[in-house]
Amino acid sequence: MTGRPGTVLRGVLRMQRRSMVLWAVAIGAVAAMYTAFYPSIGGAKWDVMMDAMPAGLIEAMGFETMATAAGYVSGTVYSLLGAILTLVCAIGMGARLVAGHEEDGTIELELTAPVARWRIYAERLAALWLTVLLLVLTVSAVLLVMSATMDLGLSVAHLAAAGVGLWLFGGAFGTLAFAVGAATGRRGVALGVASGAAVMAYLFAYLGPLVDAGWMESVSPYGWYTSNEPLTNGFDWPGLGLLAALAVLLVGAGLARFVRRDLMV
Amino acid sequence: MAPVIRTRGLVKDYGRFRALHGLDLEVERGEVFGFLGPNGAGKSTTIRILVDLLRPTAGTVEVLGEVPAVVGPALRARIGYLPGELSLPPRITAGEYLAHLAALRGGRGGERLGELAERFSLDLTRPLRALSRGNKQKVGLVQAFMHSPELLVLDEPTSGLDPLLQREFRTLAQEACAGGATIFLSSHVLQEVEEVAGRVAIIRAGVVVDVDDVAALRRRAGQQVLLRFAAPVDPAEFAVPGVQDVVLEPDGLTLTCLLHGEPMPLLVVAARHHVVRWSAADRELEDLFMDFYRRDDDEPLPTGTGRRAAGRKGGVR
Repeated sequence: MTGRPGTVLRGVLRMQRRSMVLWAVAIGAVAAMYTAFYPSIGGAKWDVMMDAMPAGLIEAMGFETMATAAGYVSGTVYSLLGAILTLVCAIGMGARLVAGHEEDGTIELELTAPVARWRIYAERLAALWLTVLLLVLTVSAVLLVMSATMDLGLSVAHLAAAGVGLWLFGGAFGTLAFAVGAATGRRGVALGVASGAAVMAYLFAYLGPLVDAGWMESVSPYGWYTSNEPLTNGFDWPGLGLLAALAVLLVGAGLARFVRRDLMV
Repeated sequence: MAPVIRTRGLVKDYGRFRALHGLDLEVERGEVFGFLGPNGAGKSTTIRILVDLLRPTAGTVEVLGEVPAVVGPALRARIGYLPGELSLPPRITAGEYLAHLAALRGGRGGERLGELAERFSLDLTRPLRALSRGNKQKVGLVQAFMHSPELLVLDEPTSGLDPLLQREFRTLAQEACAGGATIFLSSHVLQEVEEVAGRVAIIRAGVVVDVDDVAALRRRAGQQVLLRFAAPVDPAEFAVPGVQDVVLEPDGLTLTCLLHGEPMPLLVVAARHHVVRWSAADRELEDLFMDFYRRDDDEPLPTGTGRRAAGRKGGVR
């Protein structure tokens, strides 16, 4: 007799609850801190600062959009530190959920319980996506409240668009770590591949415009996530579609290997 | 009735390293079967194939009449498994974890949790990271037995348990057997299995080199006998049936030898003299392994089946 659906997921969430809460608090605090600084460095003051900077630097750092509240929050929270924290959390957790727990042995009794391997894979993956969702919802909630109290004028629809983008972006890279970990059973490999891919994605999206190679940004998941400025322009369906497609592809590839290979070796 | 575990020519490679070289094994329903071998002989590899963590490179394996890699969850529902190196998640309590494992079995075993924890005096409210090695092993045993499985696959079950708990384990194993369960347990120490197991397979370097019942194995392992006499004796006198490797100390008073089978012929010879001291110690399994190694020096590598048949014949009492 097998367990009810969701049993693996509930077990993972219970064992990870403390670190999930800590991550949510950290990322919420970062979003709040950056946004609180907006009145002192954003808006009109920003324009004055920009006049003093070389045009190339402004373009390279993506500063030209910083003058509006949406541009500032997007540039600091969604494209920078919020994205980095989400990636670190998602990649770390993705690498841990199968490969890490295989290496430390704590997944063994789950793998030998009467639960199909694909279900263990699916439910542990769901735990990853739920955790990233928790981070995104925390950021969104913090920004929603601060936008209202500080009169930043961030629209709910655009916050939702940026939130979905961050969720798919963090989720996709977390899924890369998860899938590589599930395929190899090696946490270090999973961490290395996913972190390397994230750095590459960032470099491609930033260097592409500088060297006039538009293709570089268009193949970069970071580009799919940021290039259309969802916090200013709303949902970027093609970008979101590409992120989702990448995640689905990775899920399939990891699962195909996980159900066939030797575990706990 | 079909055997509970049957492997034929089981081969397992890890990359270029071959861990199992054609392993043959048959475990009958209702028996307690010991699986003995030195560390690295392939015990855990075999066990992990039985619970479908590993897939065999070649050969066949059937557990409870099913192929583990094909049936998967439905088969694992009928098995209780204790890993050789049990790792527990640190942050939750023993009770929470055991309840979770029961939930993974659709709730089966949850009702026996309290009773089993009490028998092993396991505190369910303590976090797993705070548990000693022995207490962790108790968690492992409770989860393996709680759903009253048809087959128990236990990798070194009594390691880390004190003698009192080892006895509790034996009682539990006997109860499970009385209820119709089959127990397959591994160890690298003969002593650990001989009080609970009926038959024993000895595995070395990925091959079963011998299958026998415990008493026969013990008889074949022999005893190391020491005799001390009041006056010098002649070692040639002690060349009687069942006695081997007679060594007389230079003083001519202390004699050691290896005894197989009944001690009577040796005692008769010894009794002709004035014996001032004697001891007879069962030999360790390690010595038995040494016998196997020694024997193989002048023989080609054994094929599993041939050896196993030979071992069986030798095991008839």
